[in-house]
Amino acid sequence: MYAVETQNLIKRYGKTHALKGLDFTVNPKEIMVLLGPNGSGKTTLLLILATILKPTSGTAKVMGLDVAKQPTKIRQILGISFQEARGFWRHKPAEILHFHAAICGVPKSERDAKIEEIMKGLELWDARNKLFMHLSGGQTKRLEVSKLLIQRPRFAIFDEPSSQVDLRGKRKIWGEIHKLRDEGSTILVATNEVREAEYLADRVTVLDQGKSVVCDTVRNLKDKIAGGDVVELLLEPGPNNTEELREELNKIEGTVNLVASGENQYRAHVSIAEAWVPKMTSLCYERKARLLSVRVTEPSLDDVFLHFTGKALETTTNA
Amino acid sequence: MHDIIRLVWFDLKHELRPPIWIIMEWITFTIQLGIYGALISQLVTGISNYQQFYAIGFIVMMTFGVGSHTGRHFVEHAHEGRLPYLLSLPISRSKLFLSIALQGGIELALMISVPLAITLALIGNFTFISVIGAIATLFILGFGVAGLMLGLSFIAFKSTDIYTAITVGLSSIIIRFSTVLYPLMFLPPSYAPIALLSPLTYGADLVRLLLGFDPNILLDPIYAVAVLTALAVSTLGLGMLLLQRLVEGVKSA
Repeated sequence: MYAVETQNLIKRYGKTHALKGLDFTVNPKEIMVLLGPNGSGKTTLLLILATILKPTSGTAKVMGLDVAKQPTKIRQILGISFQEARGFWRHKPAEILHFHAAICGVPKSERDAKIEEIMKGLELWDARNKLFMHLSGGQTKRLEVSKLLIQRPRFAIFDEPSSQVDLRGKRKIWGEIHKLRDEGSTILVATNEVREAEYLADRVTVLDQGKSVVCDTVRNLKDKIAGGDVVELLLEPGPNNTEELREELNKIEGTVNLVASGENQYRAHVSIAEAWVPKMTSLCYERKARLLSVRVTEPSLDDVFLHFTGKALETTTNA
Repeated sequence: MHDIIRLVWFDLKHELRPPIWIIMEWITFTIQLGIYGALISQLVTGISNYQQFYAIGFIVMMTFGVGSHTGRHFVEHAHEGRLPYLLSLPISRSKLFLSIALQGGIELALMISVPLAITLALIGNFTFISVIGAIATLFILGFGVAGLMLGLSFIAFKSTDIYTAITVGLSSIIIRFSTVLYPLMFLPPSYAPIALLSPLTYGADLVRLLLGFDPNILLDPIYAVAVLTALAVSTLGLGMLLLQRLVEGVKSA
């Protein structure tokens, strides 16, 4: 059984179609990252799964429970960290977390210790008695994430968990999300940050205009781009480094393009560098051409997004 | 029940620390009754104890104000982004709705406690049962108004401007075209039928009857009880139904 499953899920806001027949699954105990620019339907999907929005049509199930028919049961196993921290302006972080922990059923005996541990871990402890309205953007985001880390739900949803947070904070949040997954939670993360997706994802679903374009592991997605890996070769000058060798390199399976990029230098666009490089080294060995250096560059998830949607992810107007 | 109390207290405690707005309401009531009520009662000749009549009318207006505030509070939840969070919590929509209603009820109890005590001291002649009856009437009226405003608050998800215009306009009509400040029998024939459409008419007249005012200038109490109960049940029921069926946090945020 999938932890999350949607079938032909449609959500309309008036004439706007946010989700256009989305089929989507998440396996138990995995981190699924939804990658897409704003307006791609990520947040809408998260809010439907969190039973905050109602689907226009289609089905969505969380741990086998239907979002339309059993919303209260779903909310008992689910937690959501919103894209923007939802303000109780005159409350303090510590009391917000105490309230959240209590209402989510964290035993009273464990609350204080858990809250202290998570607040210290995310460097919020010193701000625990500040008013919410006086927190910085990064602090409100950490507070939002802290709610789930204290709750530790079976199914955790993070909407852009590290936006507005500095790099050090990002790494702490990502580490905590991994820890949550390792403890057995199923995690769904929506982001338009490539680095976040690469760091977190067990699998990635690329969403564009309310539809799932492709879903796979990061590795497989990158490998699906023909010529996505770039291998740069530097050969020792010598008699064996000939035009014939260049042609033979070009014929290696998986080579999309190979050009001379300088004297004794070649740049090859290949599909799967891990498979191509051993064949290339064997060939050079056979032809007695000595390799001085090999540099492999793999495509980023932005390239993956570009490949599958024809659009650049990080240059799209994201909000 | 624990969850409902937690939700209510989480929000309410900040309104009570310090409870300035409640104290200001008490001071307003005291000044209004002590100065305006005392002076106007000398000018009004048709009712022997107009200051007391006015005091009850003012409490009914306060009740209406708290009820309206509950509806507006819900809209604020939506516009400040708290509603999606509340909707994501592991509680049923019914419990969430009850917590909103209960918070309104507690605010009402706090708000009218001192004004009612002053009014009872002014009237002097009452029984324990009549006081309980008057308080119950005010609560039913408060829930009815809160339900009405909660029902209307769903308009705010489409347009805040329309919601504000409707509630402000409705509030002035409901108060002015009612028996809050003057008995039905004194109203001109063109106004009287309209006053019968205002829920405040039934609330004010029933409280006055319970606290010993002349029944001849008031509405039939059975009629008043029936209208107030129907109002509270129907508007709260409608509000709960709307919350369960229609509320979508993000659209409102």
